Amino acid sequence: MRGVVWYIERDFLRWVRGRVAVFSALVMPAAWLIFVGLALPIRFTDNYLDFITPGILVMTMLSAGLSGGTLLMFDKILGFLNKFLALPSPREDILFGKILFVSLRGLIQATIILVIAVLIGASVYSPLQYGLTYLILFLFGVLLSAFATTLALYLEDHDSFAAVNTMISMPLFFTSSALMPYSVMPGWLRVIAMANPLSYAIDAIRAVNAGALPVAQIASLMILGVVVTAVSVQVFRRVTV
Amino acid sequence: MNAIETHDLTRYYGDLCAVNHLSLSVDHEVFALLGPNGSGKTTTVLMLTTMLRPTEGTATVCGHDTVRDGELVRRSLSYVPQDMAVDIKLTGRENALLFARLYGVTAPKDRVDELLAVMQLSDRADELVKVYSGGMRRRLELVQALVHEPEVLFLDEPTLGLDVAARATIWEHITALKKGGMTIFVTTHYMDEADRFCDRVGIISRGMLLALGSPPDLKARLGNDVITAHIDGTFRDPGVDGIMLFAFASDEASFLAENGREALPVLADAFTRAGIKVRALALREPTLDDVFLHTVGTPEEPAGFDQTKFRTMLRRRR
Repeated sequence: MRGVVWYIERDFLRWVRGRVAVFSALVMPAAWLIFVGLALPIRFTDNYLDFITPGILVMTMLSAGLSGGTLLMFDKILGFLNKFLALPSPREDILFGKILFVSLRGLIQATIILVIAVLIGASVYSPLQYGLTYLILFLFGVLLSAFATTLALYLEDHDSFAAVNTMISMPLFFTSSALMPYSVMPGWLRVIAMANPLSYAIDAIRAVNAGALPVAQIASLMILGVVVTAVSVQVFRRVTV
Repeated sequence: MNAIETHDLTRYYGDLCAVNHLSLSVDHEVFALLGPNGSGKTTTVLMLTTMLRPTEGTATVCGHDTVRDGELVRRSLSYVPQDMAVDIKLTGRENALLFARLYGVTAPKDRVDELLAVMQLSDRADELVKVYSGGMRRRLELVQALVHEPEVLFLDEPTLGLDVAARATIWEHITALKKGGMTIFVTTHYMDEADRFCDRVGIISRGMLLALGSPPDLKARLGNDVITAHIDGTFRDPGVDGIMLFAFASDEASFLAENGREALPVLADAFTRAGIKVRALALREPTLDDVFLHTVGTPEEPAGFDQTKFRTMLRRRR
C-alpha cells in the first residue's frame, strides 16, 4: 500500500506545477455561487446563498471526481499506465492513488469555494458541522473518482471520456436538489432528484447545517462508495492492455 | 533455466493472428526481435511483460510463468515502452525516485544518485524533464528501469527518434548492462544497430519467427556476396544460374552469388542480352538488411517478378 503515497505525490506535484489548472477548476463553481447564488430572485427562502452553497460544494467535488478519469486517461495515452502496470507493486495502488489524490484535491478546492461563500455572506457553522460536511464531500469524491477512473480504463480515447464526462455531469447537477428544494420541484423532477446520488450528498450537508445527523444519507454514500471501489479494484487487478 | 522461454506463444486479435506459435529461449545476451511494422514485435513484448494474455502457448521469465505468477515476473523484469513516458513537469530525479519507491528499493535516494551518474544525468538531475533532449529522456527511462536491478530488461524500440550520437550512447549502456550479466530483449527495425550490438536476432514477419541466429551466422547462411544493380527503365530478372534475385525496390535490384567477382561480368552480359539498361553494379558483403529482405521479402513486389521461380529458388537454398 506504500505505492499509493508515491502515486499521490506524483499527481500532486504535477497539479501544483500546472498553475493554470489549479485556478481554472475553481472558476465554474465560484461563478455559480456569485452569479446564481446572489442574483437569482428566489421566493422559497430569504438566504438563497445558504441554500445553494451545499449544492455548489458538491458540484465542485463532482467535477473534481470526474477529472480523476481524465488523469488516468492521459496516463494511458502517454504510456505511463503501461509502465505502472508492469511494476510488481499491486495494480490497485494506481486506483487508490487516483481516488485519494482526486478526493483530497476536491476538498482543497471545496475549501476555497466555502471561504468565498462565507466572504459573500453565507452563514458560518460550527467546526463539527464543517467536519461532517468534509466527511460527506470526501465520501462523494471517492464514489465519483472510483467510477470515473475505472470508466477511463475501459474507454478508448480522451474524446470519448470527455463526451461521457459532459454527458453525465450537467444532467446530474440539474436533476439534483442543488438548486431548489423538493417542495417546489415538478413531480417528475422530484422522483429523479430523490434517486440522484448528488442529492444524497447535498441533502446530507443541508441536514448537517440544520443541526441534524443524516445517518441514512451518509450510510448510503458509504455503501455506494465501497461497492463501486470494490468493483474497480477487481477491474484494475485483471486489466490487460 | 533460461531468462526468457516461450513455447508456442500465440496471440489473436479477433481473427488476426498477431503472434503465431513463437518458440524462443533467450539468456544472458542482447537479443533483438526484428520485423516490419505490425509484425508482432510489441505484442510479443506485451505478453512477456504480463500486460497481455497469450491466446495459446506459454512464456516464462526467470522461470516464472507470465500468466500464473505475474507479480514474480514483474519483479524480475523492467519494461521500457516506445512512447518515452517521463513526466515533463517533474525533475529527472523525481521521475527516477518515483520508480525506485514504487519498486520498494532500499535506500532509493542513493540508488537513484548512483544510476543518474552512470547515465550521465547527474548535473541535470534537478531540472524539469521538459528541458531534456530525446536522448536524455531515454537515458532517464533507463534509470527508471534499472532502479531495482532487474534480471531481464525489455526495450521496445529503444533508439526510435534519437540522433546518431544519442543512439550510440544508448547502445553503449545496453552493452555494458549485458556485460554485467543482464538479459536484454529489444525490438527494433534498425538493422545496422541489431547487426553491431546484438548477440542474436530473430526475424519475425506476420507473427511468425522466420529466422533466428547471430548476425554473422545469418549473413553467412545467406551466401557469400551481394550484387546490387541500379536499373534504368523496366526491370525483370535476367535469370542467370547461380545468381539469385532476392530483393527489388524502386530502381535497385539485389542479387546473391557464391562468387561475386566472377558473377559480376556474367550478370552484366545477361543484362545486355535481356536489353536492360544498367547504370551501376556494385559488389559488397551481405548485411543484416539483406538477410531481412531475403527473409521477409520486399513488401511491394514489382510486376514481372517471377514469384514461382523465386519460391523454388528459396526452397532449393534450404
